[in-house]
Amino acid sequence: MAIITVDGREINVKDDALLIDELLANDVSVPHFCYHPALGKDGNCRMCMVEIEGQKRPQIACDTPVKDGMIIRTQSENIARVKRQMLELELVNHPIDCPICDQAGECSLQNFYMEAGLYDSRVDIAKNKKQKHVDLGANVILDQERCVLCTRCVRFTSNITKTHELGVVVRNDHSFISTFPGIKLSNPYAMNVIDLCPVGALTSKDFRFTQRVWFLKPQEAICDGCSRGCSLLVDHNREKYKDDLIYRYRPKHNDAVNGYFICDYGRLNYKKENDNRLKFAYIRGMESEFEYATLKLERLLKRYNSKALLLISPTLSLEEIYRLKKLSQKLDLDINSFDENFDESFGDDMLRQNDKTPNRRAIELQGIESSKEDLQKKLKDKDFVLLINRADVDMIKDLGYDGSIGVLSSSDFLHKDKLDIIIPVASHTQRDGTFINCDDFIQYSKCQIKRDIESIKILDLVEGILNDGVSTCEAVWDSGLKEENFLKDINFNDVRFNSIKIELK
Amino acid sequence: MGFKIVPRYGKSLKDKLYLPALFGGMKTTMSHFLKNLSDTSNIKTECYPEMQPTDITSRYRGVHRLTHRDDDSVRCVACFMCATACPAECIFIEATQREDNVDEKMPKKFSIDLLECVFCGGCVEACPCDAIRMDTGIFTFVAQKREDFVLNKEQLLANKEGN
Ligand code: SF4
Ligand code: SF4
Ligand code: SF4
Ligand code: SF4
Ligand code: FES
Repeated sequence: MAIITVDGREINVKDDALLIDELLANDVSVPHFCYHPALGKDGNCRMCMVEIEGQKRPQIACDTPVKDGMIIRTQSENIARVKRQMLELELVNHPIDCPICDQAGECSLQNFYMEAGLYDSRVDIAKNKKQKHVDLGANVILDQERCVLCTRCVRFTSNITKTHELGVVVRNDHSFISTFPGIKLSNPYAMNVIDLCPVGALTSKDFRFTQRVWFLKPQEAICDGCSRGCSLLVDHNREKYKDDLIYRYRPKHNDAVNGYFICDYGRLNYKKENDNRLKFAYIRGMESEFEYATLKLERLLKRYNSKALLLISPTLSLEEIYRLKKLSQKLDLDINSFDENFDESFGDDMLRQNDKTPNRRAIELQGIESSKEDLQKKLKDKDFVLLINRADVDMIKDLGYDGSIGVLSSSDFLHKDKLDIIIPVASHTQRDGTFINCDDFIQYSKCQIKRDIESIKILDLVEGILNDGVSTCEAVWDSGLKEENFLKDINFNDVRFNSIKIELK
Repeated sequence: MGFKIVPRYGKSLKDKLYLPALFGGMKTTMSHFLKNLSDTSNIKTECYPEMQPTDITSRYRGVHRLTHRDDDSVRCVACFMCATACPAECIFIEATQREDNVDEKMPKKFSIDLLECVFCGGCVEACPCDAIRMDTGIFTFVAQKREDFVLNKEQLLANKEGN
């Protein structure tokens, strides 16, 4: 522990920590471009200047370890002048095309100008021209004029992905970022450079011009792309007279799971939430009223009892799995969760996992059978199979099953007319729930977006049948989920805000 | 918070009778009526629409128009500043990539719902490109259906500067 004084305020800091980290952690504003906690210091932008008592000249906070008793000034007349000059230099050749720049609204350059700049331009000569629209590959578009040459993107490809696609070429104020000749940006994490870039030099081709960022409303969620379960920010917006749509996913910083990054597959996985959604309930291929279909499903399950099988999916939340298990016990239904959503070529040693479902661990921990043999055996004497959060009808037909089939799914699928009952359910970002990732971290996905298309949450559907008033996640925990062995020491309210590792006894 | 006690009027017999006030009002009306009847050339009201107003200043906010660049193409870059500033949220823009090397971004669709618009002029103030103005001098607009009051990009571009 060390104590430093910042602008007259004493703060406790860790020994040998970087000054910039401690300042930022204590809400002291320090403009910076090149420093990023995941990439470390580089010391090239000189924006993070602070005054340290006893030192003749201002120092960069990103390359100064804290020392006990340090006295720091970040607001003095002198330091304000230094920051203004650094910014002025940075902006000499900047095109300032904020009106057409997707970064506007979340741009460090804009923010620092409002905070530390506010000077009138003294540049009356023409600005350097560079390329404004370079497709670097991997959905990343480069505007060389907007770049502040902080090299975050270069350091990401050299230190984090180790794919070395990017570099700085040409000297002094003609320098620009480029891929090496003959190669494109191509690695499964490439789009993270878009978030890393503090300005609008690197923007997303996928998000390009679809929304201005200040219209977007971020909500927190857990990615359902693979069993890593990275933390996400879901940026959505309901335009006037339109439906609420998701426009992008961004990584949410979470040291326990994904750090500052997510993979590109997960990032683009938001599309399934918007597109190809199941819009109506169907009974034997005919569009049906929603209420009628849910009542019909209840009757079917109660009629078939032990002749019915719930085939659940590892994309369901822990609460949904628990409630479906309860439903199967109450109505004497069989339950299984066989699912083959693995991709041996997907996993790597960074974040991605071969298991492309977010919650297989929860199924395992609740002791639900998921083997193919078990499914085959159970299918033998069944007259009704209900696929829940999945629509792989062909899979059970291939196993020789030819009885009635029902489907609860959020996305649309083919050959609906052959099935007895189909009900659209809330998609991943439309309902909250907890997920247990590949490293046994239990995490809460909070995002609940209200769409215009009609769908029902599985918790509500089960509640409608069991009629016990348990339809929120919290109520499910209180109704008995928290007694489960693996959740003994865990409290739902803690899970809400943190990723917590479950201890298996 | 404090409050103010407002005195109540109308308790006297004259007030309660009501008729004296009625005749007082009639007197004002009749005096104007007779004055106007004797000198019709000085009547303040205009027989709109046969008579059109002649004293509209150039700062009067009429129906919007989208301005053009020197090469006659659309000046708007779909930055959404106007839509952000608009208190009635009646500007609907869809942006797209501009392919002609004049600029990078432009509106694919741009429409203003005149029925929702409150003619505050906020959009004109907000525009960083002088791409939207309300100087068409069109202060009255008629249409058969609600939908016809929503001016699209082509209509807004076709509107000309008024006098
Ligand atoms: S990078 Fe920032 S300052 Fe530059 S044009 Fe984009 S929003 Fe404006
Ligand atoms: S492109 Fe962005 S991240 Fe890369 S050097 Fe330029 S400003 Fe920095
Ligand atoms: S005049 Fe005001 S209300 Fe009308 S479009 Fe412009 S900003 Fe919106
Ligand atoms: S009219 Fe002006 S403010 Fe509105 S989108 Fe176009 S350029 Fe931006
Ligand atoms: S952040 Fe310290 S020099 Fe760039």
